[in-house]
Formats: sequence, structure tokens, C-alpha cells
Amino acid sequence: MKLAGKAKMLRIHFGEDDKWRDKPLYRAIVEKCRELDIAGATVFRGIEGYGASTLIHRSHLLSFSSDAPIMVSVIDSEDKVHELIPFLDEMVDEGLIAMSEVEVIKYVHQEGARS
Amino acid sequence: MMQAGPAKKVSIYVGQDHQYHGESVYAAVLEFLFYHKVSGASVTRGIAGFGADHHMHTDRILVLTENLPMKVEFIETPEKVEELLPKLHEMVGTGLIEIQDTTIVKPSETSKQAARQDSSPPLKSAGKAKLMRIFIGENDKWNGKQLYKALIECMRTNGIAGVTVYQGILGYGANRRIHKDSALHLSHDRPIMLSVVDNEERLRAFLLVLDDMVQQGLVVLSDVDVIKYTHNFHEQERRKEARQ
Repeated sequence: MKLAGKAKMLRIHFGEDDKWRDKPLYRAIVEKCRELDIAGATVFRGIEGYGASTLIHRSHLLSFSSDAPIMVSVIDSEDKVHELIPFLDEMVDEGLIAMSEVEVIKYVHQEGARS
Repeated sequence: MMQAGPAKKVSIYVGQDHQYHGESVYAAVLEFLFYHKVSGASVTRGIAGFGADHHMHTDRILVLTENLPMKVEFIETPEKVEELLPKLHEMVGTGLIEIQDTTIVKPSETSKQAARQDSSPPLKSAGKAKLMRIFIGENDKWNGKQLYKALIECMRTNGIAGVTVYQGILGYGANRRIHKDSALHLSHDRPIMLSVVDNEERLRAFLLVLDDMVQQGLVVLSDVDVIKYTHNFHEQERRKEARQ
């Protein structure tokens, strides 16, 4: 996998409780990215937020229901990102997808560096 | 206020038990210097020594800390030293006073003044800047230390304007390996993202250091507009002064 120079970053914002075919949406997105051989994806959980629905997303420490805001950040070349977008369109019912330009400085891994 | 240049260094050697008007000589001398606005003085306690009386002062024997040697040192302008000497002479009694010529290379300053001198803030309060994002794993190590912690320390020492570490809950990257937090395991290998904002030159310079530290991961740069970059250090200082 090679990634260098100009690339695109997608940020997908939605709620932790959002589902895609009975699976957490963030997991479904990461799996889809892997399936499409996207360079990488990272899921972040926010502590508070609101979005298109203007519902406050907040993680409740004391209750089991937590609908914290989730952000998935995906970086790859413009072509690869555009390959992903139709799937995201279908999967993300309620949320925000933003794209921005980034310059890749480094994208490396070491064989067997991890046990 | 001391200036860089020639000055006098005064060293006063006394015993810890020596008294001046019911107080230890070193404490009395220190107080005298303090109230005569000497720019700074230090007291050090020796662990063994002997003086004019040729009596060994040491803490080695069972006698608990017996009259250990004390040294009071301060640096001042020659005029100030001349002014203080007669009184010191009287206070020190059997002790020894020594004066050396010295050169002040860099005068000490209060933290307040130092902060004010820092007239070139690392980042302009507004304008074009770069945002660098570094994606690594929580378990990544650098010289036996967690990589993200090492990176933060390294950025601080390199004068980078600021960095924030985010912990992800799921992800994968160049090595195709899923990073996640498994609740049942003690080992967490969550994805980590460091977000760094500074001007382009500084970040580009830091890349050389970064290159060595990040053995696997992703580093990307993007353009940002800085709207505000402040810290309220001066405000805090002002409030502190007002309270006093």
C-alpha cells in the first residue's frame, strides 16, 4: 500500500447508537473500508455534541444507554475516497460527512513490529 | 536588579550552630541580605569540614548533625558589597568571609519578567497555519516509552505551539491490523491521533525528528486558519498582583 502526496480526508459524524444492519454503524464503516482496501480508518468517540437532529449526544456514565458522538476519520487518495462515498451515502442515514484536503507526510508500517 | 557584567561573589563560611543574637548566624545573614534587597543568596550545608578552631565538623559520627559547615553565597555589585560588608563582619563572628571577582553572564529574572521578554509568541494569534495529524497505536513504543507521550515531550522541547491527543475506539491502518480496546484484556491497543497546530516552517522542521520516532503510522498535514491562540498567563499574574 502506497500513499503519498495529496490525499483526501473524510470525516463522518454520527451517534454511537446508530446501526447498520444490526451492527454498530462505526464498525460497519470500518469493515467496509477494509473491504474496499482503504488506507486506514479510525473511530473516535466524543464526549458531547449535537448535529443535524439537534439532539444532544452525550455519554452517560451512570446509565447503560450512551449515545455519544462518533467521528470516523478516513484518509486515502481522492479516487479511493470517492469509491467509498456511495456506500457511506447509503449507510449513514443521519449524520455529516465532510471531506478535506491533506498532504501525506508519512504512511508506513513495519513487518512484524507488532506481536 | 543585576546586570550582566563584572560583579562580586561573597562566600561566608560559618558553623551551623554559630549564633548571632539568639539566632543561627546563617539564618541571620540570609535575613539581613533579604531585607537589604540583595538580588539573591543561597545557603548550602556541607557534610563535613573544619575551620580556624581545627575541630572536625561532620555528620559521620553518632553525635547527631554536630555543627555542620554552612556556606552563604550571594552575588552583587561591588558597591552593594562594600555597603553590606561592615555589618556582615560583625554578624559572622568567628566565621570566614571571602570575596571573589566574578562575571555575570546571564542575570536571573523573575518568571514574570521572563514571560514578558518572550515577545515572539510561537504562533501568531491569527492567520494561516498547518494542522498535522499523527495516527499511531497506543502500544507503539519509542525507547521503551509510549510513543504518544514521547511525541508530546518532544514537541514541547521543540517549541511546538500545542498538541492534543485523541484516543480512538476502533481503527486500522498501514499494517491492516485492527486496533481496538478489548474490555476483557488488560492490554489496550487503541488508535491514537495527535493533532498539532503550528506554522508550516516549525512543523516541517519537526518532521525530521518525527520521522525517526514514528516507525509505523500515518502523518498528514492540512491547512487551517488560526482564529485565536491565547493563554491567560499574564491575566493570572495581574490578578495575583492585585490580590496582594
